[in-house]
Amino acid sequence: MTLMYPDEVQDLPDGYRGMIEYDWDSCIKCSLCAMVCPADAMKMYVSKEESEREGKTVKRPGINYTRCIFCGFCVDICPTDSLRFTKVHDVAYYTYEEQIYPPVEFSKGVPKPFYFREPKRVRVILDERRGIKYEPVGES
Amino acid sequence: MSSMEEREIELLIGPQHPASGHMRLVAKVDGDVVVELRPNIGYVHRSVEKLAEVKKYLQIIPLVERPSLADTTANNLAYVMAVEKLLGIDPPERAKYLRTLLAEINRIHSHLYGLGIHGVMIGSSTAYMWCFGDREPFLELAQELTGARLTYSYIIPGGVRRDLPAGFGERAERVLRYMENRMKDYFDLYFNNPVVRARLEGVGVLSRDDAIRLGVTGPNLRASGVAYDVRRAEPYAAYPELEFDVVTEQAGDSFARVMVRVREIVESMRIIRQVLRKIPEGPILHENYEKLIPPKLREEMKRRGMVKFPSVFANLRVPAGEAISRVEGGRGEVVFHIVSDGKLSPYRMRMVTPSFRNVILFEHLTRGVRVADIPAIYGSLDYFPPEADR
Ligand code: SF4
Ligand code: SF4
Repeated sequence: MTLMYPDEVQDLPDGYRGMIEYDWDSCIKCSLCAMVCPADAMKMYVSKEESEREGKTVKRPGINYTRCIFCGFCVDICPTDSLRFTKVHDVAYYTYEEQIYPPVEFSKGVPKPFYFREPKRVRVILDERRGIKYEPVGES
Repeated sequence: MSSMEEREIELLIGPQHPASGHMRLVAKVDGDVVVELRPNIGYVHRSVEKLAEVKKYLQIIPLVERPSLADTTANNLAYVMAVEKLLGIDPPERAKYLRTLLAEINRIHSHLYGLGIHGVMIGSSTAYMWCFGDREPFLELAQELTGARLTYSYIIPGGVRRDLPAGFGERAERVLRYMENRMKDYFDLYFNNPVVRARLEGVGVLSRDDAIRLGVTGPNLRASGVAYDVRRAEPYAAYPELEFDVVTEQAGDSFARVMVRVREIVESMRIIRQVLRKIPEGPILHENYEKLIPPKLREEMKRRGMVKFPSVFANLRVPAGEAISRVEGGRGEVVFHIVSDGKLSPYRMRMVTPSFRNVILFEHLTRGVRVADIPAIYGSLDYFPPEADR
């Protein structure tokens, strides 16, 4: 039952609502993600460079992980799939500010969790006799 | 001052975790006999109702889940049902079954949680470990379905967010069989344990009339012999099409309350099996909303089994009016009352949670009992402090 985290790390099912990936190119800057966010974690930032180039205000989403509750509403409403779930949820930060991702940083992908040793990846097997069993999986 | 009064002293019990969270009991005792016990409910999730007045309709879904972390689906479902009443839509059949499925997984989870806490309160850390360990397979199932462990935010106006993942039925069946076998162990070690029985039987008896008079709800009410269950009294989701018994016990004591929960776990498993067998094919989002999603995205969404929100969800407008919805949660009846004035947020939202109605029992059931009976009664009520204070 007990997982020896962080030496063992669980492989999560598809559709797990972890930290969010942002694709810069496919975003149509519709702001729906910021509008639906219940926690005010997703906000539209003025993209200075683009605004100057296009001669009008261009806004792109950025995320504040200190506020995000991982409800996934932003991902589900994004009409172009620019936002996607990742399975990363275990990241630690030194400062509060580091957890706020303006659009450019947001588009660089989610941080890789830090482990002292490369953890053993395990998968949950629902078992008739034991309830939950962990089974090792290959590198993913 | 009479000599009687001089004998009484005030005893402050708690707050401590995991037994009571932030809740504290103020007891007046004479020797070890409780003369009066007043629960001091503490504060955690204040202003959910008030906050709802400044949040948009969709944004309230994660909010109403917060007060009751072991039983988020009931609140989610009750809230969405009230919104749907105002919108005048009914979700598709498949969505109703999926809602029922998650609600029952959640009920088992909630009951195991309650039984575990009760175990540790009367000193059986084994029961605690077992129950908490056995929640895990159910949480895994819920996580597979929704993508989250506790705050699923799974039910949305017009449907649900995800379809059944492939192979879910088979994995669920394994979990159910595991739990069925496990029940025997529970009885051997815990429920039929003479010490447990001695601590629970005849302790904190709630008579049928008192239960009704005090407005007690959920398993605590049914343990006093009142066969009242919202799933039957006012069927919703897929319950009208499913067979299940409303579990009741007659004794009304702490043991009866625990037993109702145990037997309800068995009923819930029966419901889950039926849902998985009978679940119809079809859409999981109401056609009004589905047709608002661009065709390409709609195809993709069907392929992946994950609903995309139509853009109207960002600013969902709900017609003016009032709606009340009721749902049977793990701890009892959850009621939502929404008053809409046609704007983006409810004009007023009111939620009545089961623990709020059951908290009254602390005062009622503990008069004249021994101090050692307090945790036994407390645990048997499956009282969840954050849920009472919202
Ligand atoms: S997951 Fe939810 S809380 Fe987090 S940014 Fe998206 S909408 Fe906001
Ligand atoms: S990320 Fe998606 S929802 Fe947000 S602005 Fe871009 S396209 Fe719109």
